[in-house]
Amino acid sequence: MYSHLTVAVYFIYGCLGLILAGMLTLFWLRIRAIRTAKKTEIYLQKHQDYFKFVQTHLSGVSELPLPPGKLTPLERRVIQQRIMEWIEQLKGDMRDKLIKLCRDAGFVDDDIKLLDSLLYGRRIAAAYRLGGMRAAEAVPRMLLMLEQQKYSPLSIVIARSIAKCAEREEQLTEMLKHLLRHGKPIHNLAADILMETSLDASRLLLKLLDDENPDFVKVALVAMWGQAVPEVVPSLDRLVGAEEKEVRASAVKLYLSSNPVLKDETIRQLMADTDWEVRAAVAKSLGNTHAAGSIPLLRAALQDPHWRVRNNSAESLAKLGETGFEVLCQIAKHGSGVERETALYYVEKTMAQEGEHQKLDQMVAYNKKKLLYERYFGVAEAKPVRQVAAVGGDYTA
Amino acid sequence: MLIYGLFATYYVMTVNVIYFSIMTFSFRNIMTIFRRAAYSKYNTLSGSELVPSISLLVPAYNEELTVIENVKCLMTLNYPTYEVIVINDGSSDDTLGVLRREFGLEPLPNPEMRNSIDCQPINAVYHNPQYPHLYVIDKPNGGKADSLNAGINLSHYPLISSIDADSLLEKDALIRMARTYMENPEETVAIGGDVRIANGCVIENGAVKEVSLPRKMWPMFQAVEYLKAFLGGRIGWSSINGLIIVSGAFGLFRKDYVIAVGGYRGGYPGEDMNIIIKLHRYMLENKLKYRVAFCPEAVCWTQAPDTYRILSNQRKRWGRGNLKNMIENYDMAFNPKYKVMGLLTMPYNIIFEALNPYFKITGLLALIGYTMMDMTHWRVLAVFWLINFLSGYLLSIGALLLEELAFKRFSKLSDLVRMMLYSMFKFFGYAQLGGLWRIQGHIQYLRNNNSWGTMTRQSWQEKSDTAKPA
Amino acid sequence: MLNTALQSKQEQTSLYMDIEQSVKEAAYETNGILFISCAGGPTYLEKQVRGILESQPGVNPKIWGGEEPGSLFILFPGQTLDAVHFQGLLLKQRLQESMPDLVVRMTLTSFPEKKQLTQEVLIKMEDSVKQQASGEIHIFTREEMKTMRSRILIVEGDATVREFLEIRLQMQGYETAVADNGLSALETIESWKPDLVLTELNLYGIDGLPYIHHIQQLQVPAVPKIVVLTEQRVEQTISLCFQNGVDDYITKPFSPVELDARIRRSLNSLRMNLQGLNSQHIK
Repeated sequence: MYSHLTVAVYFIYGCLGLILAGMLTLFWLRIRAIRTAKKTEIYLQKHQDYFKFVQTHLSGVSELPLPPGKLTPLERRVIQQRIMEWIEQLKGDMRDKLIKLCRDAGFVDDDIKLLDSLLYGRRIAAAYRLGGMRAAEAVPRMLLMLEQQKYSPLSIVIARSIAKCAEREEQLTEMLKHLLRHGKPIHNLAADILMETSLDASRLLLKLLDDENPDFVKVALVAMWGQAVPEVVPSLDRLVGAEEKEVRASAVKLYLSSNPVLKDETIRQLMADTDWEVRAAVAKSLGNTHAAGSIPLLRAALQDPHWRVRNNSAESLAKLGETGFEVLCQIAKHGSGVERETALYYVEKTMAQEGEHQKLDQMVAYNKKKLLYERYFGVAEAKPVRQVAAVGGDYTA
Repeated sequence: MLIYGLFATYYVMTVNVIYFSIMTFSFRNIMTIFRRAAYSKYNTLSGSELVPSISLLVPAYNEELTVIENVKCLMTLNYPTYEVIVINDGSSDDTLGVLRREFGLEPLPNPEMRNSIDCQPINAVYHNPQYPHLYVIDKPNGGKADSLNAGINLSHYPLISSIDADSLLEKDALIRMARTYMENPEETVAIGGDVRIANGCVIENGAVKEVSLPRKMWPMFQAVEYLKAFLGGRIGWSSINGLIIVSGAFGLFRKDYVIAVGGYRGGYPGEDMNIIIKLHRYMLENKLKYRVAFCPEAVCWTQAPDTYRILSNQRKRWGRGNLKNMIENYDMAFNPKYKVMGLLTMPYNIIFEALNPYFKITGLLALIGYTMMDMTHWRVLAVFWLINFLSGYLLSIGALLLEELAFKRFSKLSDLVRMMLYSMFKFFGYAQLGGLWRIQGHIQYLRNNNSWGTMTRQSWQEKSDTAKPA
Repeated sequence: MLNTALQSKQEQTSLYMDIEQSVKEAAYETNGILFISCAGGPTYLEKQVRGILESQPGVNPKIWGGEEPGSLFILFPGQTLDAVHFQGLLLKQRLQESMPDLVVRMTLTSFPEKKQLTQEVLIKMEDSVKQQASGEIHIFTREEMKTMRSRILIVEGDATVREFLEIRLQMQGYETAVADNGLSALETIESWKPDLVLTELNLYGIDGLPYIHHIQQLQVPAVPKIVVLTEQRVEQTISLCFQNGVDDYITKPFSPVELDARIRRSLNSLRMNLQGLNSQHIK
């Protein structure tokens, strides 16, 4: 009985001790944080004139000095932080000038020394700041860090810093290698990191597209979105036939976005692809090419098992002039199931766009469509045909 | 009687030892969380085409006072591509009307509903091309789960996020979550966000401008309670992949898996816990590698109930939903097939969470009875109570320490002192009430009472007025 | 009374003439001028300033006491604007180190040609100091002499970027106002009627396309030109913006030189439109 009680009493003492320690730590941390915040505020105030000075003369020819007088370590940190914020927002000569200021002021050297600190927290913080200052000389050391790092959110921090600082393409590919070696499909994130580089990205991406590492190819494909790079088309041609589903889908999407002239045979092949993303991308692009020959293909695709393919096909049909629109009307009137539903939705959507057409030819096209609509559904009533609940489930979303 | 009393004492100690271990995991992870938040520039990511698109689902039931402010807040998030889908769950007030007037919404002819998940037929979908990323679904009343399912059926993007209509998201909340998702996109099935109490904060333009603690008693208790649950508990649980709940107020999910498990379960409260249990079950049964992550740097501010009646109703509802989930999934407990979930999370939640009040109350009664027989044994009673109090308080202090290490949201020294005091007061009444509410919830469940109870809202506008320092 | 006023006026004029003369005699084309005013400053101010400036090599300032007590004109022969600015920075810091309560107000300038430094400039500089509320260092530009200046409203949530843009555009001679969220931006456009709005898309209150729509529906005589400067790089958003009447779209990180050019272009097209309208009127 008493032994039980003794255990319990020790437990109580243990708790009491820990509570006290915790409370003291809390107060210490809070007071320290308040003091730092106050000092930071004072320093920001004190150097406001200096900050204005730097911003006013960024475009001048002469070099920028640090503020006059002796600076405390926190003061230096405050100034460094502000300069890094500018570097993050700017491009071109002005940014280079700020980078040079960081180097002249010794901020870069200080942080490179910290990369060898015994404390992990300091090393990470230094790597982050070096990225912010675009310190090329720190890249080899940071690559080593990334290599030794277990995959964690902080790998991303280091990788981003490397991408910002790198001055040679090999450094970027080495960074990618370390980042992707954990086998996680983080191609989007890797592409975003890669695009932080100040090197010529399009050349690098071309190289990556031809790399034998499929992960590099994926990163390059993802990164190319929204960047029209005409030189890549030959590489894409090859990748459109790639084995791997993801690579093929991205390659096709990218390929089509350059509005290429496609052979009928190629279109048929692509529309029969096993991957819905490929079919959807092709269906979408057919709406822009104004090839009447694609109408039967699109009509068939309205029955596709995947909703995105059906939608894109209907949208493209609506764009393909009267003939396309008439096919939609036919299906909306006489079709059944999901096919009819999709068609109906796009017929109504097209009709609802009345008044948005300012140009004459657009108005003419619209009115022609409207005539067709009335032939199928009668003169438009005040309320359009509304049907909400769909028939049958669709598990492909 | 003494034996049982001792058993109860050990029970309490065991609960706390488990809790301490979980908190140790939290402490192990807290600095990583701090650094990943501090050393990530969200601005580049938040404009990038490479970030996955998200559909925000906002179920709204009788929210005419707050819904406009909330939708406006949700439409100004720092995120490249997303849509906001508000689901009006057959409100009896003018929720739909205020939305239509404010945003000039018109019904869509033939809205595209993909019936991926069963849900009640809807009335209409409203939209205005001037607000291209806003949709409002109007449907007959069918509960929160059914509303979410309807939202999923309309949603256009691969990720969905459920958000309560009485909550405000921080501008960066979504991009922070997306960053966590992008770090490991294949394995992440769900991510939870941190929920904090907005009572007392100054709110301007749909954003929390100045963080402060609530001034009223009930919200204050909840504030320290949430801090302990989210920081002390969930960070730790998520690090061993044993997270059993992602708060319904703010969570991100992969749509394909949510559809694969059949969407949200209606009929009972606790649908947020239910969906997570189902996801765990699905992934483990199909032997897929997965994680349910927790992203405490993504913050959602919520309006806490500030009267006894509303709070007790909420807690009874939680108790009811919790019990239902435990009964439905009892087979997972102690089943090695379900790994951490089966061997730790489920047993812990059944024995140490759901049944907690029974053991504590009976243990206390037994010891009181024992002491009554022989007053010289008062010491045993005191020890029982002290263990209860001190270990619980230590956990609260630990949670405050986590907050201070990683987030530092409360800058004033007085806030710290208040939180310490309230964490202490909690054990004199509030904690006991919590147990009572849970038992009442269980009784309701057994009696098959499934009403929602009352939940009234204040408008954010009024709130921000009252929240201004007097 | 009248007499003393007249007398001081004459003294002042002679002071300006004195300075102008010194500029003419200077060995360099480029010359910097700094005007400093410390209300209630000590009598030994001039001595102290001289001490601070002469402690550095290569600076040969000429100092005149201004008409008001505690005010000084300083001529820096051969100094470019950034050098004069740095001297001002140093001077202000040193003065405040020795006299922490002193409010130092400054305006400074530097012109590449002697003849640009006229009496008129000196008078304007003195005036601009009087208008200053806080003790900041004001940079006087020639553009300030113009009467008609284009108005630009800067809308940006990030304080650092906002300040940067404000300083830059003011240096270019634009009249600027700032807003940090969508709602106050809309209000300012209505009340202040800027010629151009330079705006981030991602703002508190209201943002994105609805925000652009709102700007265009405001009850103002002429809808301002809209130049978007944003992190948002999604193609669909960009094309939607152009469809909805945005005049230019620049993504961050940005090159300030390019930004200047785009702003000038947008303002030019605005002017052309106006001229077009006017000439139609005449017809």
